[in-house]
Amino acid sequence: MAGLALTNVIKRFGALQVVHGANLDIEDGEFVVFVGPSGCGKSTLLRMIAGLEDVSGGEIAIAGNVVNDVEPSERHIAMVFQSYALYPHMTVRKNLSFGLTMNGNPKADTQRRVAHAADILQINELMDRRPGQLSGGQRQRVAIGRAIVREPQVFLFDEPLSNLDAELRVQMRVEISKLHKQLGTTMIYVTHDQTEAMTLADKIVVLRTGRIEQVGAPLDLYDDPANQFVAGFIGSPKMNFLKATIHAVGQEGVTAALIADPSVRLTLPISSRPDIGSPVILGIRPEHFSDAGTGEADLTVAVHVAEHLGHTSYVYAGVSGEPLIIERPESRHAGDQKTLTVGLPAKRCFLFDAEGERLR
Amino acid sequence: MRVHNRIAYAFLAPYLLIFATFWLWPIISSFLISFQNTRVNPWRFAPSMNWGRLVGDPAFYNALYNTLIILVIQVPVMIALATVMAVFLNSPLLKARPLYRFAFFVPVVVGEVAYAAVFRLMFSADFGIINKIIGTVGISPVSWFDNGTAAMALLIMAVTWRWAGYNAIIILAGLQSIPGDVYEAATLDRVGKVQQFFHITLPLLKPIILFCIVLSVIGTMQLFAEPFLITNRGGPGGATETLGLLLYRQGFTSLNFGYASAIAYTIAALAVAISLLNLFFGRETK
Repeated sequence: MAGLALTNVIKRFGALQVVHGANLDIEDGEFVVFVGPSGCGKSTLLRMIAGLEDVSGGEIAIAGNVVNDVEPSERHIAMVFQSYALYPHMTVRKNLSFGLTMNGNPKADTQRRVAHAADILQINELMDRRPGQLSGGQRQRVAIGRAIVREPQVFLFDEPLSNLDAELRVQMRVEISKLHKQLGTTMIYVTHDQTEAMTLADKIVVLRTGRIEQVGAPLDLYDDPANQFVAGFIGSPKMNFLKATIHAVGQEGVTAALIADPSVRLTLPISSRPDIGSPVILGIRPEHFSDAGTGEADLTVAVHVAEHLGHTSYVYAGVSGEPLIIERPESRHAGDQKTLTVGLPAKRCFLFDAEGERLR
Repeated sequence: MRVHNRIAYAFLAPYLLIFATFWLWPIISSFLISFQNTRVNPWRFAPSMNWGRLVGDPAFYNALYNTLIILVIQVPVMIALATVMAVFLNSPLLKARPLYRFAFFVPVVVGEVAYAAVFRLMFSADFGIINKIIGTVGISPVSWFDNGTAAMALLIMAVTWRWAGYNAIIILAGLQSIPGDVYEAATLDRVGKVQQFFHITLPLLKPIILFCIVLSVIGTMQLFAEPFLITNRGGPGGATETLGLLLYRQGFTSLNFGYASAIAYTIAALAVAISLLNLFFGRETK
């Protein structure tokens, strides 16, 4: 097991810079998830840690040793690929043992490790099959098994569940989480799915266009996002953003008035002192709207459509053309009316400046 | 529906007519001719004459031997070379890839007569560049066209030069279908490049290589142009006479179509048998 440190890591492909000075410390045994939209550089960063991509600048250290010029095979890492990357002509058993056999590992030890991995992943009955004879979920288990037998210091997962159907994805997510508890090894996991990030991670690293936007525990990112991007990316359905202007700045905080309905004014207890009249964004999560009259302000919205999931309903609505999603637990008639009035609890709202940075 | 079918067959008819006349009928006809004595006029049914002669004909065994020698030496050498060329062409380090791809493939599009003439010039005993080159390392000139073994070697080199690039392009297509992340996984598994080639690339290329071998076996069994044009009609003294050449000599020089047909069927049967053996030994174990 080992921790990792990325110091000002840069990646360029020719003239194109795709990772811009990433700094990150990963503790020994931590489960870290890199999350971000497509093209944000999360997979590139993972491949740089694996040694499959060169580092254009900065340093990557594993267990305190800089590994920029260390061959991938010598980094004591194992990787699970999005496409599984199993050896198609080998049986599951051979897939698991191939690397160890090629490296002259003693046969008995190889057998022990393969049996151990097979037990952990419950793939004993698949050992004599080839990848082509396995389902997606089974292939994924084998790919994880191949990583386990290497007994690496760090596990790397590159969107391992993205090729699985929704049900299997949830099941494998739980299994990967269990595996981390069982092995206690440092794991770095790349995904674009914020739900996977929230459920698996000890620490989430949110990336956008090659830059780390925020690092933190899942609930810290949910409760205290650093900017509008993180606020929108973490949480499902995503946070609502409403255009507003600064109406007043006083001792109690900052009062913002919605552009869509200037009569809706909300005073947020923050210490920032933005200019009066400056444009801001008011953010509130769908699940944080309260009943009318129970928040610091009420907002009346036009209801477009409602989705009833049983335990809760999502109301898709709008106010002067700005779209909103409102979660209404235990409300099966939320979509019946043409309008809906909800409360805005100030302590659940966030303010972002015109650049998307959080006003605190 | 029936009207539709008739219209469809009407459109197909010109092709089917040509196919039946120039492809299907000759195949049937030559099989029937192989049971005829075609050295008399009119031809007479003599079922054992040509097939009986084939079994005891030293010229047939000589041609069969020569063809099998080429098959056993040239095909493996060429496929190995083609695999190396394909790996070279697939290397990410290679610059000007299209140029090399063109260079490797171009022998296939060169006319047989032109390439045979160039090979004859290059391997000329007196003023050929090959003898000059080997002379610089102290090897005495080789009589490429007068020495049976040398002529066979020349033939093998010529056929290899002509077809290695063609096979390399097919194998390259196979190489490009192997996902790159399998190699990345192997790299992380601490498997070296050479081990990756033998344990991943070659096994995954097996179906493609088998396909190339079957194509080459069929081509070699029919080998005609090179021994006819380069080594002067299978010379010296029949040392490079192949089954294809023997067929030509019997059919179109001696006009003994019955015997030529028997040889043709033997060539086809051997090609099928050897190809099936290849496929049998190269099949995927379940």
